[in-house]
Amino acid sequence: MRLITHNMLQCHAKGCDPSQSYPLELKEVQLESLDAEYSEDFIRRLIPKLDWNVLVHTAFALGVAELPKELPDVQDEAFLRKVHQVALETRVKEAQMVCNGCGHVYPIKDGVPNMLLQDNEV
Amino acid sequence: MQPNHLETTHVHEVYNLIADHFSATRYKPWPVVDSFLRELEKGSLGADVGCGNGKYLGVNKEVFTVGSDRSDKLIEIVQKRGFEAMVCDNLSLPYRDACFDFVISIAVIHHMSSPERRLEALKELLRITRTGGRILVFVWAFEQEGKRKYQEQDVFVPWKMPKKIYCPEGQPTKGSTPTEEGSQDIVYQRYYHLFVKGELDELITRTGMATIETSGYDRDNWYCVARKT
Ligand SMILES: C[S@@+](CC[C@H](N)C(=O)[O-])C[C@H]1O[C@@H](n2cnc3c(N)ncnc32)[C@H](O)[C@@H]1O
Ligand SMILES: [Zn+2]
Repeated sequence: MRLITHNMLQCHAKGCDPSQSYPLELKEVQLESLDAEYSEDFIRRLIPKLDWNVLVHTAFALGVAELPKELPDVQDEAFLRKVHQVALETRVKEAQMVCNGCGHVYPIKDGVPNMLLQDNEV
Repeated sequence: MQPNHLETTHVHEVYNLIADHFSATRYKPWPVVDSFLRELEKGSLGADVGCGNGKYLGVNKEVFTVGSDRSDKLIEIVQKRGFEAMVCDNLSLPYRDACFDFVISIAVIHHMSSPERRLEALKELLRITRTGGRILVFVWAFEQEGKRKYQEQDVFVPWKMPKKIYCPEGQPTKGSTPTEEGSQDIVYQRYYHLFVKGELDELITRTGMATIETSGYDRDNWYCVARKT
């Protein structure tokens, strides 16, 4: 799972408090990096679609990068390349994703999140 | 059978058992899906829900698409191909509201075995789509052009798998029906709800969450492009 995907994931367990179900907290994380083709245009268009606070917080908590808390007005190439590296080239190989609302744990194994719930949790 | 049990036995377990064979037969993108994906704006974010082996995930390199499927075996294949993928269920998607520009559902909704579940699956697809974003849905048609003809809308469709290649001695054959003497195939029964003309459009309209932009028939399937309102 790339960090861009984490930016969209939320807990969907029955009765989970919607104000606490996002973002999922990453614990016991094993990261890997991969090469993704850089496209300035793509990244520029992508940034406004992200939950910026969550990306900044996640990148910092995982020790991947320090991104500015506020989106800069002028987005130079160094900045865009950094976002590219964080969102598209950083992958979570193993982890536990924990919901702060209900405590549900979603595992990531071999890079694949398993987001299934039991029948009685849906 | 209860709808969820029917799907567990005759959809989810079957796709896991046939994953390798299914994947080997799925590589050609359907033209309508192909052009929908190619015409997306650069930098679009999307989800392919029920992505199978991920055959649509690499069609347009200028968008980012997250694949997901109920079958962990198929998702393993998607992951190995280097695409973004996760295991989840269309009926309860783990994404925040309105976070995608587009969502595709290709040959998935017809595996839901009650009208309520089909409606719920469509509502989930629209919940995760942003206002103004679009979904593309394909389902199997009752009105078949090909050799297949059906008497009922809710049917079992056999999947034949060459025993020698995919099920060497000692492998599980759970869910398979007994094959004739000397047969070279293992047969699994997949549940389908075949859509009649107008049924998909009606269901999408009933969500109250979208307007229909295009709908049509292509290669034994009904399809629909709808815009989230
Ligand atoms: C006919 S295949 C289509 C796969 C792919 N979209 C394609 O066009 O090649 C149907 C897929 O839907 C998946 N599926 C069925 N029910 C599902 C559900 N409730 N949630 C997610 N995926 C489901 C199956 O595992 C299977 O991969
Ligand atoms: Zn939760």
